[in-house]
Amino acid sequence: MIKALSRIAAAAALFGFAQVAAAQGQLTILWAQWDPANYLQELVKDYEKQTGTKVVVETTPWPDFQNKAFKEFTAKGSAYDMVVGDSQWLGAGSTGGHYVELTDFFKKHKVAEAMAPATVAGYAEYPGKSGKYWAIPLEGDATGFSYRKDWFEDPKEKTAFKAKYGYELDVPKTWKELGDIAEFFHRPKEKRYGISIYTDNSYDALVMGVENVMFSYGGDLGDYSTHKVEGIVNSKENIEALKFYKRLYGFTPPDWGKTFFQEGNQGITEGLVAMSMNFFAFFPALANPTTNKYAKVTGYFASPKGPSGKQFAALGGQGVSIVSYSKNKEQSMKFLEWFIREDVQKKWADLGGYTCNAAILKSDAFRKATPYNEAFYQSMFMVKDFWAVPEYAELLTAANKRFHPFVVGGKGTAEEAANGLAKDWAATFKKYGRTK
Amino acid sequence: MAIVQSRLSRWWNRGAIALVLMLLVIMMIPLYWIGSTAFKARAESTTVPPTVFFKPEITPFIKLFTSRVQQRGESDKEAYAKAPWWEKQVMDGGDRFIKDNQGNIESSGYVSRFVNSIIVAVTSTFLAVALGTITAYGFSRFKMPGEDDWLFFILSTRMLPPVVVAIPMFLMYRAVGLVDTHVGLIILYTAFNLSFSVWLMKGFIDEIPKEYEEAALVDGYTRMEAFFKIVLPQATTGIAATAVFCFITAWNEYAFALMMTNKNAQTAPPYIPSQLGSGLTDWTVIAAGSLLFLIPVALFTFFLRDHLLRGVTFGAIRR
Amino acid sequence: MSQPALTSPVTNAASVPSGAGRGMSDLAIRNWFIIPTIVFLIVFNIFPLLYSLGYSFTDYRASMNEPVKFVGLQNYRELLEDENVWANFTLTAKYVIMSVLGQVVVGFGAALLLNRAIPAKGLLTTLLMLPMMMCMAVVGLFWQLLYNPSWGIVNYVFLTEGKVWLSDPNVALLAIAITDIWMWAPFVMLLSLAGLSAIPPSLYEAAAIDRASRWFVFRRITLPLVSPLLLIAIIFRTMEAFKTFDIAFVMASMDETELVAIKLYKMAFQEWQTGRSCALAYIVLLAVLAITNVYVKYLNRLKAR
Repeated sequence: MIKALSRIAAAAALFGFAQVAAAQGQLTILWAQWDPANYLQELVKDYEKQTGTKVVVETTPWPDFQNKAFKEFTAKGSAYDMVVGDSQWLGAGSTGGHYVELTDFFKKHKVAEAMAPATVAGYAEYPGKSGKYWAIPLEGDATGFSYRKDWFEDPKEKTAFKAKYGYELDVPKTWKELGDIAEFFHRPKEKRYGISIYTDNSYDALVMGVENVMFSYGGDLGDYSTHKVEGIVNSKENIEALKFYKRLYGFTPPDWGKTFFQEGNQGITEGLVAMSMNFFAFFPALANPTTNKYAKVTGYFASPKGPSGKQFAALGGQGVSIVSYSKNKEQSMKFLEWFIREDVQKKWADLGGYTCNAAILKSDAFRKATPYNEAFYQSMFMVKDFWAVPEYAELLTAANKRFHPFVVGGKGTAEEAANGLAKDWAATFKKYGRTK
Repeated sequence: MAIVQSRLSRWWNRGAIALVLMLLVIMMIPLYWIGSTAFKARAESTTVPPTVFFKPEITPFIKLFTSRVQQRGESDKEAYAKAPWWEKQVMDGGDRFIKDNQGNIESSGYVSRFVNSIIVAVTSTFLAVALGTITAYGFSRFKMPGEDDWLFFILSTRMLPPVVVAIPMFLMYRAVGLVDTHVGLIILYTAFNLSFSVWLMKGFIDEIPKEYEEAALVDGYTRMEAFFKIVLPQATTGIAATAVFCFITAWNEYAFALMMTNKNAQTAPPYIPSQLGSGLTDWTVIAAGSLLFLIPVALFTFFLRDHLLRGVTFGAIRR
Repeated sequence: MSQPALTSPVTNAASVPSGAGRGMSDLAIRNWFIIPTIVFLIVFNIFPLLYSLGYSFTDYRASMNEPVKFVGLQNYRELLEDENVWANFTLTAKYVIMSVLGQVVVGFGAALLLNRAIPAKGLLTTLLMLPMMMCMAVVGLFWQLLYNPSWGIVNYVFLTEGKVWLSDPNVALLAIAITDIWMWAPFVMLLSLAGLSAIPPSLYEAAAIDRASRWFVFRRITLPLVSPLLLIAIIFRTMEAFKTFDIAFVMASMDETELVAIKLYKMAFQEWQTGRSCALAYIVLLAVLAITNVYVKYLNRLKAR
C-alpha cells in the first residue's frame, strides 16, 4: 500500500511539474463554459499559428465561474493570465487590485474609439465616466427578443388582434404593445402562452429583465456617481415598470418561476410561447433548424420603447482583463493587441463571437450575417448596465429578495417592493461608505 | 429446526415482494428517464409533452467524447457530405466538431476526468475504510480516555458545509502545492469519509461478540492475529457497506472537486453539468455522461451485494 | 481448548498482556490504531476551522484587498438579531424533519420488506440503491426537468395535470424534499438491511414457538436490535440534510426554499461577506452539534441496554 501511495504521489508530482513546464510560453484565459468560449478557443488558434504562443481557454460552468475566478484572486494565484469577467466584476476587480489597469493601453491603441461607446462604458470603464479602463470589450451582449413570425403573420390572428386592440399585429415598438401581444397569445387551454421572461433569482436574470423595462420606462437604478437611490429606485416610473413586469409574468407558461436562458429558448423550440426574452448570446441555437424546428419562422427584435419614448436594453456581455498576479502580463498585452485588430474582430464575429468593434457592428455584412444580428446591432447602441460597484452582488441579492416575491410569488405591492429596495440599497451604500 | 411456513406468512411474503417491486418501479422511473434521454436525439429531450417512445441513437455518446460548438445555421454542405455517419448525426443535432490544426477532432476531456475519478475514488475509499476499521476497532475494544469526546469530534468533522471551509482549504492547498493534484483530492476525500467510516465500522464491530477474540487469545493468538483472523472476517458486512458508501461519496463529490481542481486532476462530476452553458442545453449529453458515470459505482455495489447482505450470523453467543 | 476458559473479558488494556506475551501490547495497538486517524483529522480540520473562526470576528471580504478589521462579536450579534436568519433556521429545520422522516419511512420500510427470502435479493437491493449512486449535481438538474408541467413526467406519474411544483412557494420545499428522499432513502435502507440481516433467526424462531404476535416481535426483537445502525443512519442523514445545498439551489431559489446552506453560499460567494458567512457557519455548526449530541447520547443509551 505504501508503494502504491508513493507511486501515486510521484505521478501527481510529475503531473504538477509538467503543468508548470507547459505554463511558460502559454497563456490561459478563464471564461465560463458556453459557446462563445468555444468560439474563442477556435479564434485563438490563429494566434498560435501566427506567433507560436499557445492560448488555452479554460472554462468552468456559469454558476461556479465567479467563485473560481475570485478564489484565485484571493489566493493571488497565477493559474490564469486573463479572465473574461462579467461587467459587474469591474468594481471588485479594479479596487481589489486583481485587474491590471489598461488606461494607457486604451490611449495607445485608441480602443475607446474603435469599440461601440456603450460597450466601453459598460465593460471597460470604472468608476463610471472616470476615464480609467480595466478590460477590453470581448463579448457584447444585451437582452433582446425572439418571436414566432408565423403566429404574428397568420391572417386569422391579425384580424382578431386588430379587432381587439385596434392596431395592426406586428413586431411591438413599445412595451405596451408587447404586453397586448402577450395577452393576446396567452391561451393556456391550447398550451400556448404569451411570453417567456427571466425570473431566476439565484443570480442576476430576474434583475436584468426588470431593469430592462425600468430603463425604458425612464426610470433608473440610482445615480451611479453619487450613489443616491432614494426617490430614484422607487420612482413612479420604476413602480409602473415593476407592475408591468408582473403583468407579463401572468402570461408565461406554468412553473415559470425560476427561468433563465434555457427556459427562454425552450419556450420557443417547444412551441410554447409567442415571444421570448433572452440575451443575444443564446440566440444561435434558435437560428439553427436542427436545434429549433421553428427556426425558419423565428424572428428577433430589440427591446421596445417605453411610454415616454426611451429605449434601452439591459447590458450583458464581458470584457477580457489581465490578472495582476499573472506571470505573463507582457505576453497577455501582446495578445490583447492582436485581439483588437479589425481583421481579428471580424473573424471573431464570423465565428460567432459578438464583437464590440463599432465599425464591424455597423457594417452590412455583420448585420445580415444572421437573422438576429440586426437586432443585436440596434441593441448594442442603447445598452445600460446594472451597478458595477464592488458590492454589486449584495445589491443584486436585495433586488432579488424584493422583486421575486412580488413578481412570482404575488406577495405585496410594487410600491412596497420598490420602497423596500430603496431602503436596502441605501443601507448597503452607507455601510460601504459610498454615502454619508 | 425448520418452521413450516403457514399460508398466512406465505401471503405476507408475496405481499412484501409485490410492494418491493412497486417501490422499485417508482424509484426507477426518474432513472429510466435519465437513461432514455441518453439515447434520444437532442430535439426529443425536452418536448411538450414528454417523448416516451423514440428511436434510440448513440449520438449523445459521440458528443460526450468530443469537443463541439453550436452551429449558428445550417451545416456547411461540403463538410456534411464528406463527414462519416457519426459526424453527420452530430451535425444533425446542430453541433460541429472542433478540430485542431491537423484536422483531428479534439476530445472533450471526459475520459481523462473519468479516469481521474477512478483513481481518486478507489484510493480514498481504500484509505478511508482501512483507517476507519482499525480506528473503530481501537475504540470498540479498548478503553480510551475521553472516548465519547473523541468519537464526537470525529463526527463533527463532517458537519460543516463545504462552502465554509472552501476558502481556507483552498489557501491551505495552494500553500503546499496540492491544488489540482490527485493526491490533494485523495487526502481530502479520505478525511471527509473517515468520520463516517469510523462510526459505521464501530457500529458493526460492536456487534461482534468480544468473546471470540478472548477465546482466541486464550488459545494463544496475539491481539493482532485475533483482529485479522477473527474480527475482520466477521466484519465483512460492515466493511462492504462502508466501502460502498465511501466510494459513492467520493465518486460523486462535486463541491471540492470543482474548487480544488482545474485541468489536471478534475474529476467527472464538475464536468458533466458543464453542458449547461449553451443556448440550448444538450440534456442528452448530460444524461449520457451521467449514465456512463453511474456504471462503475453500480458494478462495484453489485459485486459486493452478497457481503452487504450477509450479516453477522455466527450467532451462538449474543448479548 | 483444554485450558480453563477466561471468564472475565479483558477490559483494562494496560494491566493484562495479550497472547502469551507475544506481539504488540494492547496499549500499543490501541494507540497505533486510533491516533493516526485522530491526528490526521485534527491536522486537516483544525486549520480551516480556526481560520474560519478567526474570520468570523472580522469584517473580511475575500474579494477585496482591503485591510481586515476586527469587529468582535458584531457579526454574531447582527446575525442573531436578523429575523431573516431565524426564518432560514426554522425553514431548514422543517426541511430536515420532512426529508429525514421520509427517508426513514421509505428506507426502513423497504428494508423490512426485503428482509426475507426473496429471489434476486442482491439484484433488487442494488437496483434500489441506484438513486443514491447518481451524482448530486445532476440529480437536481434532471429533477428540475421532471417537475416542469410542460416537458416533465412528474405530473404524468402522479396524475396531477398541470400542477406547478417548483415555482409554487407552498409546494417547492416539499418537491425538493421528495427528490432528497428519492435519493437517500436507499442509504437508510441499506444500513437497516445490514442490521436486520444480523438478527439471528433463532430469536425469531423462539418467538414463534412462544406464539408471539408480529407487533411484539417487531417491538421487542427487531427494533431494538436494528436501532444502533438505524440511528447511525439517521444521525448522518440529519447532518447531511442540514448541509443541503446542491439540489435546493439548482431547483428553486425562493425565500421559501432558502435553506441555511444556500444562505451561507450566497453570503460567502455572491456577496463576498466572508467574515459574516463564517460567523453564520459557526452558529449553524453549534446548532448541529447540539442536535447531534442528543442523538448520540440516545445511541449510547441504547447500546448500554
